Amino acid sequence: MNDRRRVNGPPGGTRPPVYASLLQSGTGADIRAQRQRQPTDLRKIFLKTGLIPSASGSSYLEFEPSASLAAARSNPKSLIPPSSALKLACTVHGPKPLPRSAPFSPNLVLTTHVKYAPFAARKRKGHVRDSSERDLGVHLETALRGAIIAERWPKSGLDITVTILEAEDDRWWGDVPDSHDASWGMMNVLAGCISAASAAIADAHIDCLDLVSGGVAALVSDDSTDSSSALPKLMLDTDPAEHRSIVSACVVAYMPARDEITELWLKGDSSKVSTADGDERSGHEALIDGAVDAARGAHTVLAEAVRESLQKALGQS
Amino acid sequence: MASASTAATAAPNSLSLPPSQFARLQPHAYLLAHLSPPSSSNQPSIRANGRAPSQFRVTSANAGSLTHTNGSAVVRLGDTTAVCGVRAEILHTDDIASWSVSQSTNANKRRRIGETEKESETADEEDRAHIEDLNLLVPNISLSTGCAPGFIPSAPPSALAQSLSHQILSLLHTTRLVQAEDLRIWYQPPNLGPEEAQQHNDEEQMDLDAGANEEETKPAEIKAFWVLYIDIMLISLAGNPFDAAWASVLAALRDTKLPKAWWDVDNESILCSDDVNESQKLSLRGLPISSSFCVFEADAAAGWRAVVIPDAEEQKAQDSKHGSQKWILADPDGYEEGLVQERVHFVVDKEEGKTVIVKMEKHGGWTVDSEDLRQLVDISAQRMVAGLVVPVACLPALVTLSPRHTGTSSESHIDHEPLHQPMTELG
Amino acid sequence: MSNQRQASSASQTPHLSPAELSYLYTSLSLPKSPIRPDGRSPTQFRPLTAESNILPGTNGSARIGFADGTQAIVGVKAEVEKTVLSTDTLASGEGGESTAATSGHGSWVQMSIEIPGFRDDDALPVFLSEMMRESLVGAVVEGGDGGGDVMMAGGLKGRLVINKRWHWRLYIDVLLLSQPLSYPLPLLSLTTHLALLSTKLPKLKSQGEEDPFFDDDWEVAEYLYPRGSKLKATSGLASQYVRPPVTLLVVSVGENVIFDPSREEIAVADAVLAISVTRDTEAGNLKLLSIRTIDPPSRLTQPAVPNSENVNMLGATAPTEDIAVLNPATGEEEVPGVWRPRRGGVKRSVIANMIKTVLKKGGVGEEVLEGLEGVEVE
Repeated sequence: MNDRRRVNGPPGGTRPPVYASLLQSGTGADIRAQRQRQPTDLRKIFLKTGLIPSASGSSYLEFEPSASLAAARSNPKSLIPPSSALKLACTVHGPKPLPRSAPFSPNLVLTTHVKYAPFAARKRKGHVRDSSERDLGVHLETALRGAIIAERWPKSGLDITVTILEAEDDRWWGDVPDSHDASWGMMNVLAGCISAASAAIADAHIDCLDLVSGGVAALVSDDSTDSSSALPKLMLDTDPAEHRSIVSACVVAYMPARDEITELWLKGDSSKVSTADGDERSGHEALIDGAVDAARGAHTVLAEAVRESLQKALGQS
Repeated sequence: MASASTAATAAPNSLSLPPSQFARLQPHAYLLAHLSPPSSSNQPSIRANGRAPSQFRVTSANAGSLTHTNGSAVVRLGDTTAVCGVRAEILHTDDIASWSVSQSTNANKRRRIGETEKESETADEEDRAHIEDLNLLVPNISLSTGCAPGFIPSAPPSALAQSLSHQILSLLHTTRLVQAEDLRIWYQPPNLGPEEAQQHNDEEQMDLDAGANEEETKPAEIKAFWVLYIDIMLISLAGNPFDAAWASVLAALRDTKLPKAWWDVDNESILCSDDVNESQKLSLRGLPISSSFCVFEADAAAGWRAVVIPDAEEQKAQDSKHGSQKWILADPDGYEEGLVQERVHFVVDKEEGKTVIVKMEKHGGWTVDSEDLRQLVDISAQRMVAGLVVPVACLPALVTLSPRHTGTSSESHIDHEPLHQPMTELG
Repeated sequence: MSNQRQASSASQTPHLSPAELSYLYTSLSLPKSPIRPDGRSPTQFRPLTAESNILPGTNGSARIGFADGTQAIVGVKAEVEKTVLSTDTLASGEGGESTAATSGHGSWVQMSIEIPGFRDDDALPVFLSEMMRESLVGAVVEGGDGGGDVMMAGGLKGRLVINKRWHWRLYIDVLLLSQPLSYPLPLLSLTTHLALLSTKLPKLKSQGEEDPFFDDDWEVAEYLYPRGSKLKATSGLASQYVRPPVTLLVVSVGENVIFDPSREEIAVADAVLAISVTRDTEAGNLKLLSIRTIDPPSRLTQPAVPNSENVNMLGATAPTEDIAVLNPATGEEEVPGVWRPRRGGVKRSVIANMIKTVLKKGGVGEEVLEGLEGVEVE
């Protein structure tokens, strides 16, 4: 059905461009994006609050581009980007009175919306939220609700909107989806959404137990030669474009002050993991701990951004 | 109420309201007080946001920072931020239902006209037909991003969003900014096989000279078009969304690179080259700049009353003396937009050193007369000359900036926190 | 907005008074031996009736009814579809095609969930179907050795591959027949599991890369999830066969881990997890596939007022009665017997404990899988 409220493209539909170089087999092996960071190194995060004055709270978050993407930017050769770096904006509106039709609530009612810009991913997204975006919205809501002290705002609502301007890839663009394939990029997006929303909520001066931050860890088998025998390794803050095969991944929303997890999303087969000697943790425990460590890293950035916005606010008044 | 307004204008001693609250309670009086300072103070009239009436907000732009686009730009017009991404996709002529029909009629038309001076006109007409009838430009603006409290996120496009999308579409069409030739993907069928060509030559050799062989090559045909999906996300809205959106479209289109594409006979599809050096920038026609104004009236109802009550002539005379004062405010912010009815809107371009009005729109009132309009055109044109519209003037410089500062941040100093703390814990 | 609210939290918060909530919480959090309102043990499931192959028009179907009257029906339909080589697969040429052909694609499994009172794009159905689909297509068997069936290499996705150019597309339609009384996940997941177990695909008669054609004799059709003969199954070798995953709803109250919670029990839970498990064909034990936290509705409940703060009770109580003590499970200061909505998240140790209870040998996960295996498939 045609959407009459938008400008529609050609009725017959269009096709994304097909690059000739992709049709030759074996290309790209040499230009494959490789992780340059140590397994426990995190990407840098750019986070700034209060950029959208019409909202009660807002934040903008950006991940550092991977080494390959940075190289491609400074010295462009191919039109196919090697990987992408998360960019998103988050706004918070409220607390505001609930509509008259809404039932009484003794607590702050949270609504979350996550929407990809049509140009955010390698494949063009539609204008209407699809199921993955709705799914992300539910995850984000769970993550935030645990952190907000909701009973301080009875009969009020809080709208949180995240617009994703650039998402993360699910795998390296040249790879075919393999048996482990899933939407891994979505997990990085969720971690970014959690940290950004947390900053925006703090910017809106909503009481929270702690700044909740998101972190991702994954079990990765990068060995192309002999993937069956080598055990997958634990990596923090994985960019799926930099890995051959992600076996399982986990994202947490974590509050360091209370050492508590408000949101946990783990998927994939975490039964096998190569751990250090004497490490008795099973795969999923290692994965959760890794994600918590990544979230701790994001928390330092978050705290710094919030402190800065507070200083700015104090300086103004 | 009365006390508040008098307090602000006349007796600052009794003023007990901080300005921010006065601005909320009595927005009209607040702005009026700013614009008409007491004559004794000798101050120029200034807007509540500190700008002179004809002053535009500072515009900044950054292009090419989004990875998955063919061209992108972030434009900040004061606190209004628009992000525009252009994605190019391919429309095969096989997928166009009416393609073969329209092609043959066009060819006929061309043959009939034949004359050289009319040729360009037909080509123009064809360009227009291709872009408009085939929907090769697809602009959509999204306001459901939480950019302002009024818009419900994830709701279908509001009336404002729909109207903005269509304004941008019609402006793209009327300015003919994008040239249809850039969007066509041609295919030159190879010459006839040598044997066939031989046959032809044998038959026609007697009355045709050697040049016939060249004429024999098949005409190039259009195999596909590029369709440009122009999506604008308004991240932050503080008045004047159209100027910001249009500037972002303009900057993104200037940044847009289309890969070299050709028809591949073996695969029966269009293939593209991913080589940056082979890709081509769009060649845009002109540089139409949009400027919006709004008209703030001291007594908003004065004009209406004059008509409704015809016998109030005395009052009218009084009005003309001091009452019906008006200010034309350039580039209104969200606060001002809420207080005005009448808006004027120009899109101007330069053509061979002359200012051309591409679009003019005025609605909502009747205080602006032709003299005012002429002045406004001048202001808009000056804006272009002075290069106030940074997106265009400074683009090349901004593109080379680090892509880190996309988005919304104008300052860049805090950037990345070193993440060493968790590392030690991991050890 | 109200719809949004009830959709996102674990279920509609039941209208329980703070006193009732407090009573429930106290009895469920009794150390070691929680007392559940219906007298079950912590790991005991509610009685249910199950049957499979109830819909003749489907490839496989099942119905499960809980004793409280909620019922779910699942139908599985399979269609043959041409494998479209996307640009991704074109990308790596020949080599790429073959990997795509053996590994299959997650989008070949489509799942729709219908719950009365919810639109199909509401948060709850979307969340549930994503959760169940994710573990279904995510279950991957490593290699064909170790007793695992060759046909199931690559998990369900791999099983759907017919040859390089054709595959099966699976439509799983889940229908809840009544308004959910509790979080419907366990019911839907068990029913889906049963339906998939009973799903048969017609026997392939063509070979290799030909266009597929099938034997029209339903008697010789093959199970989607291959099963051993009855004899083998009873002799304990059933664990060698790949089984569809099952998603369990687990809540923690205090230090206790409780399975298959009723609506009232979810209402006071500190944490709610959906844990998907399946059988590991190599090791013979259970394997974790996915975990998702679910927003516990206890965060939305109404707080109680301790007597010391209640104006109506001024002077009626001795001040010593209302001394706040630290609840070890939540880390919050609480007055015993006075309900406070939950805040914050879950401790890692609690999560680890919940997972362990599901996965351990002879634990709840195995019990459930065996129970479902026992449902007679005609």
